[in-house]
This record gives sequence, structure tokens and C-alpha cells, in this order.
Amino acid sequence: MAVNEEPKAALATASRTHTSDDAGHFQHPLYQVTLQTPGLSVGTAVFDDLMTWGLKNALWMFPMATSCCGIEFMAGAASRVDMDRMGVIIRATPRHADVMVVAGTITTKMAPRVLKLWEQMPEPKWCIAMGSCAISGDFYRNLYSVVPGIDTFLPVDVYVPGCPPNPEALMAGMIKLQEKISLQRTGKFVTPEVKPELLKITNPSVPRLNDPARRPEQNHEQELSADSPTVDEATAPLEVAAEGPAPELSPLTSPDFEGLLKELGIAELPKDGPPIIPLEQHLALARKLKSLGYRQLVTIAATHWLAGKGRKGADEAEPEHFEIAYALRTVGMGSRVAAWAVRVKAGQPVLTLSGIFAGADWQEREQYDLLGVTFAGHPDLRRLMLTENYVGHPLRREFPADAHWAPWR
Amino acid sequence: MTQKPSHRVDPHLVIEKYDPEAELMLMHFGPQHPSTHGVFRMDLFLDGEIIVKAVPHCGYLHRAVEKLCEKLAYVQITPIVDKNDYVAPMTNEQSLVMIFEAMLKLEVPRRARWIRTIFAELQRIASHLLWLGTFSLDLGGALGGGTTVFMYCFRERELILDLFEEVTGARFHYNTHTIGGNRHDLPKGWSQKVLAAMDTIAQRIPEYEAMTTQNRIFQQRTRGVGVLDGELALELGITGPILRASGIDHDLRRDAPFHAYDEVKVNVKTAEGGDCLARAEVRVEEMKESVRLVREMVGAVPEGPINSGKPVKLPVQTKIPVGQTYVGIETPRGELGGWLVADGTQFPYRLKIRPPSLHAVSALPYLLPGQTVSDAIAILGSLDPIMGEVDR
Repeated sequence: MAVNEEPKAALATASRTHTSDDAGHFQHPLYQVTLQTPGLSVGTAVFDDLMTWGLKNALWMFPMATSCCGIEFMAGAASRVDMDRMGVIIRATPRHADVMVVAGTITTKMAPRVLKLWEQMPEPKWCIAMGSCAISGDFYRNLYSVVPGIDTFLPVDVYVPGCPPNPEALMAGMIKLQEKISLQRTGKFVTPEVKPELLKITNPSVPRLNDPARRPEQNHEQELSADSPTVDEATAPLEVAAEGPAPELSPLTSPDFEGLLKELGIAELPKDGPPIIPLEQHLALARKLKSLGYRQLVTIAATHWLAGKGRKGADEAEPEHFEIAYALRTVGMGSRVAAWAVRVKAGQPVLTLSGIFAGADWQEREQYDLLGVTFAGHPDLRRLMLTENYVGHPLRREFPADAHWAPWR
Repeated sequence: MTQKPSHRVDPHLVIEKYDPEAELMLMHFGPQHPSTHGVFRMDLFLDGEIIVKAVPHCGYLHRAVEKLCEKLAYVQITPIVDKNDYVAPMTNEQSLVMIFEAMLKLEVPRRARWIRTIFAELQRIASHLLWLGTFSLDLGGALGGGTTVFMYCFRERELILDLFEEVTGARFHYNTHTIGGNRHDLPKGWSQKVLAAMDTIAQRIPEYEAMTTQNRIFQQRTRGVGVLDGELALELGITGPILRASGIDHDLRRDAPFHAYDEVKVNVKTAEGGDCLARAEVRVEEMKESVRLVREMVGAVPEGPINSGKPVKLPVQTKIPVGQTYVGIETPRGELGGWLVADGTQFPYRLKIRPPSLHAVSALPYLLPGQTVSDAIAILGSLDPIMGEVDR
């Protein structure tokens, strides 16, 4: 009997060093067989160590590189730091990868994709949160479109702090992960768990490209029925001009923007901003400027003025309104900018500039998305930045800067 | 509406009207695909391998910068805009502080303007190097895996990052520009290091040319691909190297000088092709020009103060009077500017950032139809979009 007991005791101690389970706790017939067969558990322990060694020295990385940290991640893979010597290979597909490195800010629009890619990775897998945005959201954390830290929906193993972390810091994080993997195999470390209620972040919006509700002509109809006389008046000259010949473009003319304004009855440029043009003159002015050499679209910027506020300061009689500023530029030597603005009530549409400047298409979509200004006659007025099912227009002044209502709060 | 030339691609093509017999395939491209330079998605409608319609989707990195700026004091915004175009943060800061300086009518000291110019040119080299490396990676197999050029370009980019680190203490996200001047003066012996780095880079640019723009395989991959008409580029608001590659001679460094560009001669490089190869050639030529400018300027930085702004104890002490303005400068990607609406308080009422990359990406619906899927990657890469700037 004494001969038999001795190797059993030795086996029990050997198994304790490699698993955290008590021998009596785990009940499986095969497990009992391994305990009772002399030498087998030593063999599996050695095999375990071999596996661990292999796992930690061949970490294939999936770069979830969204922003600035992604550049430092690339620098880490490039010649000076060269993470390749640690057995790190960058695989741009989740199905080949062991580690997901989330390098950069994750927005609510991106988060469902990140989660989906994480689920496509085979086990065993690990996750590194690189940079303050991935860790906590950094200074974007309270804003309406940013996820405050990826550990709200992913199990993070290693955090690499910094904004952005140096490539050397990322390398230190990799070494930490290697240490952690060896601990995981000995049972001293448990995989982090995610809170299941946090997994339900915003639903991804399915793009319905052929949705009849998005047809531009219908958009236009809706806006026409928005009961605004300005549109009806101004639509007619737009169509007439469409049939006529295109205006001749004369480069590097010396245009007299102030002269144009005088024709419109504006004697001098106001000091507190661009001159405000009547809505019905808006397109004609843009066309004239283009023929005078202002051929490049610079920007379109809408501003939301709450009731009682305006560009001259506080005025109780001022109703809520939007001011949409347009800027054009001449090309070549002595380049100049011409800027004007139109003023609309909330909900009142402005005629689109996209027939004259193709770039106004996206600029107007952005202003529509963020401020809710509508543009009549726009060929494809959809949201540009936010998801299709987003409610509200965040750059309006009454929209809260701290999004406490966000679903993950 | 019909002012558009008839040969121009219709970006809003109604798919049902295309060809009812053709079985179109919808392919999602991105947002996590590595050749999308970050997070960018396109829906490509394919007839065989030919793209019929491309619908770009952005906003996967929309970080609400404009909303954030509205609740921060003016002097606190500089580090925020660093993160917009994270490949060229120096020029981002410059464009922002120049808006505030224009509103406050502040005169920037001559030394600070020279330092800003040198920073901007060094940043241009670093940015174009990163672009060349990643673009070669995009073209991939044709260049023997493309990793060689990537490794070489990053090697040289580190030289410039080291120079910046010595001045500001950061590899990027420098926060070195303040309203009225600079925060950090040039350290002793810095100009010698700059000259040494410029010698190395000037020596290696011909090597890159041999590997890329003069390489037959590279040329076959890029010549005639994604031809952008100059007039369309102007209408779309495209600026920078992409515009110059379409034959339009326009560079704000020469045409509307800022910083110290009125004291030096800037040779503007243009190309006629308008295709991916022309865009690559223009950027490589610009690197050479930037090396020349830095070499010329770094030894001749005038003495004097580096800041004319009054020192502030609290961020809220800086107030900008009521008014609106637009200021745009030439960055490595084109015209970066901002429309500022100030209401007399210490916070901006509205700050619209005008990013060059957003306008560049908006050309995709015009460029992609008629091309193959593999060319789509070359075209997107040649536009050099930075998603932090597109989405903000």
C-alpha cells in the first residue's frame, strides 16, 4: 500500500501546481483517469507549458486601429521598434488573430462593428486597449457619439495608457500580456468578464439604399409642401438657368465682390460677420461669383442662434434662427475669399448650392445632419456623420454637451 | 442643374435605371479594412468587377469635436484639434491659433512665424512620407509586398519626429502653438540636427522614386487610374496636392502667404495627369521642395521674442470680441481652415472646421464608377484621407 500511495501524493501535488482546482472538486471520469495513471499528468503539464510558450510567443495581432493611436501602432510595427521580433505578426483579418489591439476612439457607430469582429476571432483571444480614448473615452467621453471606454462592451486584458502611447509603451503592454498568458495557464489569472447589460449598445443601422422614402424627388416634394413661399418663388429661375448655357469661367479676373453687393442693396460690409443676402438672391449671387473667378468652394457653415440671441448680441425680439455662411475662393496668385450668409427660420429650407458647386452636396448633408437645416432641391439629403436612426441634431445649442441620456450610462 | 458637363459621372445614379438585365452585386468595403486608412466605408455596386456606383459612408470616427470646442475656453482648444489630422498635428494647431489671432488682431513675432514655417515644412515631409509608405502597402503585391517602402518611409519619419520631440517633448500631439506665438523656443544645436536629417532625407528621396514613381509596376498600377478633372476638383473644394495633380496651379503658401512664406520663394509643383500617378509625383516633388525650404530657413531664423500674447493666468481670461471670420492655411493635405463665430465670451459660439480630407473623399462617387475594385483601393489611397479629419 505504501508503495502505491507515494506516487499518488506526488501526482496530486504536481497537479495542484498547474491547476487551481482542488482534486476533489472537479468530477470527470477522464480527469480521474489522468490522476491515477502514473506519469500522465506530468506529461499534460509539460504539454501545457509548451502550449503556453507557443501561445505567448506567437501573438498575431488584429489592428482595430481607428485614429491617432493607429499611427503609433504602425510605428511599432515599422523599422525602429519592430514588434516582429516578439513574434507579433499583424493580420488584418479577425479569423487569423489572437489579440485585438483597439487603438483609437471607438464611436457609437463603430462599436457594434468592433464587437462583431471580436466575436469572429477564435478562442483563445485577448484584447489590448491602447490609448486613453480606448481606455476611457478621454476628453470625448461625455460627448454624444463616443463610447466611454471599450471595457463597457469588450473584455480588456491589458491597458496601455497615453495619448498616444509611444510604440515602446505598446511593446511593454505586449510583454505584460505575455506574462498574463503564462499566469492564465497556471490558473492564477481569470479571463475578465463583461457586464452583459452593457453589451446592448446602439443597434447598427442597416443601410437601406433603395428605400423609396429616401428618393431625392420625394425629399424635394416634402420640402415644397413645407409651406414656404421662398422656395416656390426661387425654384422657377433655377430651372430657367438650367436650360441656358453654362456661365463662362474666366480665371484670375479681378472680381468686385463689394460691387456685387451694392447691386443687391448692401452698401458696405458689416463688421460683425459676412453680409446677409436675401434668400431669393442667394443662388444668383453664387453663380455670379463663380463666373467672376471664385471657382473653388471653401466651406458651408451653419450657426444656430437661439431666441433672444443674434450676431449683434442679446436682443429679446430676436426669434430662433439659423445663419448659413458660404465661402468661395479664387484660384491662383493673390487668392481671395468671398463670403456671404443667408438667414432662415427654424424649419425653413434654403435652396441647395449643389447644382453650381458639386462639393456643396456633402457640405449641406453635414449641416443637415448636425444642425437640422434643410436644403431644398438637394439630390440626396441624408445624414452624413451620425447613424440613420439618430434622434436630434447635436450641434444645435439646446442639445446637451454631456450626453447623460446615452444608452450605456 | 444641367450645368454639369455631360461627361461627368452621376454620383446619384438610380440603380434601377442602370440595366435591369445586369445582376449587380453589392459589396461592403470597410469600415475596418486596413486600406481604408482608418474607418471608412463604401457600398460598391458591382457589375462583374466594374464599379457602377459607389456610396461612401463616413462618420465612424465622428468624435464631436465641434461640440466639444463650444464648451471649452479658447486656449484649451489647441490640444483638441491636434487629434483631428493626426498625421500632421502641427499644421492643425497653426490653422486654429491663426483664426484666433486674426480675430484678436494680434501680430505674431517674426521669429515665431519663421519657427512655424519650419515646423509646417517638416510636418509636410513627415506626412508625405507616411502617405508614401501606406500607399505602397495598399498597392501591395505589385511592389513585392510593399512592406519595403513602408519600412523605409517610417525610418525617415522617425528622424523628423525626433526633431519635434526635442522641441516640444512629444512625438505628436505637440500643443506647441499658443495664441500670439509659440510655447517652446528652439533648443541649442537644433538646426544642425535638422540639417543632418535633411541631408539623410534628401539622399533617400531618389531611392523612393526609384522604388515607386519610376517603377514600371507602380506606374502600371497607377497611370490613368482615377482621373480627376481640374474643374470638378475646384467645384468639390479639393485642395492641396490632389488639386495640383489635376493641373490647377494653386497653393496658399504662395497665393495667400501666411507665416513667413512671403519672405521665401515657394516653387509650386503641378502635374497634368490628374491620375494616381500624378498625385504620387506631386507629393514626392513637394517633399524635395520642403527639404529645400527647411535647409534654406533653418539657419536664418531671426532673433527676437517668440510670443506676443499676454500671459494668462486662467484659461477664461482670453475673450474674443463679437464677430465671424474664416482663415485657411495650406497643410500637407490642402486647405485647412475654420469658420469661427464669436459672441464676445471666452468660449467659441460655433467653430466649423474646414477639413481638406472631407472634400477629397467626396470625390469618390465621381472617381470610382468604371474602375475595378482593386483600383478603388489605389484611388482611395492616392486621395490621402485622414479619417479623424473627415469625421471630426
